Amino acid sequence: MNHAPVLVVLLPLLAALTSLLLPYRLAPWLFSGCLAGVGGLLIPLYQRLIATGVFRYRIGGWGWPLGIDFYLDGTGFIMLAMTWALLAGIGWYSLAYFRGRPAAAHFWPLLLLVWAALDNLFLTADVFNMYVTLELLGLLSVALIALAGTSDAFSAALRYLLAALGGSMCYLLGVAMIYSASGTLDWVFLRTVLTEGPRAAMALALVTAGLMLKSAIFPLHFWLPRAHANAPAPVSALLSSLMVKASFYIALRMWLWIFPGVLHTHVAGPLLGLLGAGAILYGSLLALRQDRLKLLIAYSTVAQLGYLFVFFALSMHPEDVTPALQAVVFFALSHAFAKAALFMGAGVVQRTLGHDSLDRLAGCAQRLPQIVFSFGVAGVSLIGLPPSGGFVGKYLLIDTAIRERQWFWAGVLAVGGLLAGAYVFKILARAMADGLSPTFAPHLASITAPSHVLPDGAPKAAGDTFPAPATVATGPTAPTEGPTTSFTPPTTSAPDPGISRHPTPAPPAAAISAAMTAVPAEAAPPDRGLVWSTWTLAMTAFLLGLLALHPLQMIAIGAPETGPRLPGSEILK
Amino acid sequence: MDPTRGAPRQIPPGADPTGEGRAPSLLVRLLTGVGVTAFGVLLAWAILSLPPTAPGLLHEVREHLPRSGTKSMVTAVLINFRGYDTLLELTVLLIAVLGVFVIRQGSRVPEPPPMPLGPLAREFIRVLAPFLVIFAGYLLWAGGEHPGGAFQAGAILGALGILLRLGGALPDRAWGVLTERLVLTIGIFTFAAAGLACLAWGETFLTFPPAHAGAMILLIEATGTLAIGLILVLLFVGGSLAGTPPATPRPTPEAEP
Repeated sequence: MNHAPVLVVLLPLLAALTSLLLPYRLAPWLFSGCLAGVGGLLIPLYQRLIATGVFRYRIGGWGWPLGIDFYLDGTGFIMLAMTWALLAGIGWYSLAYFRGRPAAAHFWPLLLLVWAALDNLFLTADVFNMYVTLELLGLLSVALIALAGTSDAFSAALRYLLAALGGSMCYLLGVAMIYSASGTLDWVFLRTVLTEGPRAAMALALVTAGLMLKSAIFPLHFWLPRAHANAPAPVSALLSSLMVKASFYIALRMWLWIFPGVLHTHVAGPLLGLLGAGAILYGSLLALRQDRLKLLIAYSTVAQLGYLFVFFALSMHPEDVTPALQAVVFFALSHAFAKAALFMGAGVVQRTLGHDSLDRLAGCAQRLPQIVFSFGVAGVSLIGLPPSGGFVGKYLLIDTAIRERQWFWAGVLAVGGLLAGAYVFKILARAMADGLSPTFAPHLASITAPSHVLPDGAPKAAGDTFPAPATVATGPTAPTEGPTTSFTPPTTSAPDPGISRHPTPAPPAAAISAAMTAVPAEAAPPDRGLVWSTWTLAMTAFLLGLLALHPLQMIAIGAPETGPRLPGSEILK
Repeated sequence: MDPTRGAPRQIPPGADPTGEGRAPSLLVRLLTGVGVTAFGVLLAWAILSLPPTAPGLLHEVREHLPRSGTKSMVTAVLINFRGYDTLLELTVLLIAVLGVFVIRQGSRVPEPPPMPLGPLAREFIRVLAPFLVIFAGYLLWAGGEHPGGAFQAGAILGALGILLRLGGALPDRAWGVLTERLVLTIGIFTFAAAGLACLAWGETFLTFPPAHAGAMILLIEATGTLAIGLILVLLFVGGSLAGTPPATPRPTPEAEP
């Protein structure tokens, strides 16, 4: 198993190519085989990491500086394991989601390629190879978003493509500056070779700007909400949980491993932290304002990415960055699980109810109890309540801030948690509302209300926004019957669709049956695979905090400033 | 000010996601202009401060060239020293085609037929085609000693395919699905197989033994040329040229105007 590092990448890559040649029904089998294979390969990697610490694998046998090396440390391994576990969950979900749909023929090869690219990113020690991976992931994201097939998805995909190209070009320019200044591309050795000066500063600025654009950090997040909200549900989960972490991972390597030895990064770190704080506040506030479930979750991603960048303000202290590193990697890990579960749950809601409008989620808790439970449990992790993974991550971040006496950042983190609580409870409150109350109660309340407001509201209810209930509701519409049995809601002219849905002066029995069908009881219950994969990922995010100790120890393997100044030197001799 | 560079930022950062098509305000445009100008000045300053002789890897490349299996430094770097990058770059090209397939699948808009060429142009393409094939083969072979190789030869093959398409000689459904998929992936398959064969020799992935390196590089480049050529043609056509797979029907012809 000496070749496990490269096989971890090659297995999904070759499976993706094979799945293009075979009938597409076999693709899920190839994916399952890859899950078993890569899972089996991760075990020897783990054992070796525990036994001997960080290690290298020379592709092409040339070694540094001529060739490309793989380099595995604890952070990289945690990311690999996270990728495996999340893809297992997302694959399970996609199996049910894409069953019998033509998009499946395209989805599985793309998913396998995403896997290969992510594994490659977390293993490579070469900053140019990272650029190639960024291109892979960027184009894959575009194709995956476009899988939705709607014009909204196409425009979101194109916008993402432009943003990603801009980000990649910026990053490539930075890598070119690094290479021309140092003559090497290996991030483990760069900190010893690179020299201080305007070149290094400009290189760091370019690389960071490119990566911020790609991971949608606050002022450059404009592409994210539409891209993540318009993609198919498994793709949204993939994008929000794993793809945005990819560019953050590179930024982490740059800011923690390469440039602290070269530049006075502690001057620039707080700037990134401020952007992160802006992202937390702005993303959370915008999440609160959304009226579509998927958009709310997408803005929550903008906010949660802010925490990752607040970390850069906390890590710029010379003594020991390991606690802060543990905190942020673990935070990224638990956010990935929680966010994937939220998007997958939103996909189930959209499938079952036919929409994801927050205003019409009432009754959701009765119809989809496991999904609403998953929302709650994953939300606990986003807010950062014990025992979730988000709690451990956030606790460690706040702990670092307090020990460094950086009260401002501790405050930002705390406020972010409150805002996350606000938008999570916005989802839960709507979903747990009684299915009958928003439609039925106004009818009872307005028995004596004047009915002359009816003509204003009736055409609106029969409009295109409510195709299914409107047919029920407008069936007995006959304004002449109105005055006798006036069950007209008092606020028909208000824009609230939940109330204006039944402006018809129907008799009480019809009103009740109309209200019942408003939560479409005729729709089939969602596939069990969809529900239980969502539930599993949410529970993982929730219980991750209890299992935090060992991952935290893993992250410390090969962390900068622990052990030798140059991790990996003892292997290269 | 380069307008394209500021293009992705034209959406104000706080824009409502539904506010599409709204012209950015004067303040945003002004800020973008100032930002881009400052960025350009800083970049120019950093580039001017680069040393005239960069501490590159030229010396290392020269030193290891005899063991690389090729006499061309570019080929040695592309296929041997940093062959792994090239393997992934071939994958990038494949993904671009897969992305086009995805978009074509969901699109209801039929592709307008290519502009008909006159008889003179068609005759010219007929004469040119065999020479282009020979030229591509020459570039591929020359890559062993001079600048050239898979990407250049593949570009020539791609140009040939585009000419044939424009001349009407390359119709829709020109070949089977499996053939097309096989050619699209054969470059990556061969590259990976060559790399995995090295494991059998007890080396790491892609460590070509010097005795066989030349032959392996030629094989990788030859299959890569085919794949790159087809990928470029399909990107130009904007979709698959293969026969209709049964599960995914194409848009029917009556949708065309």
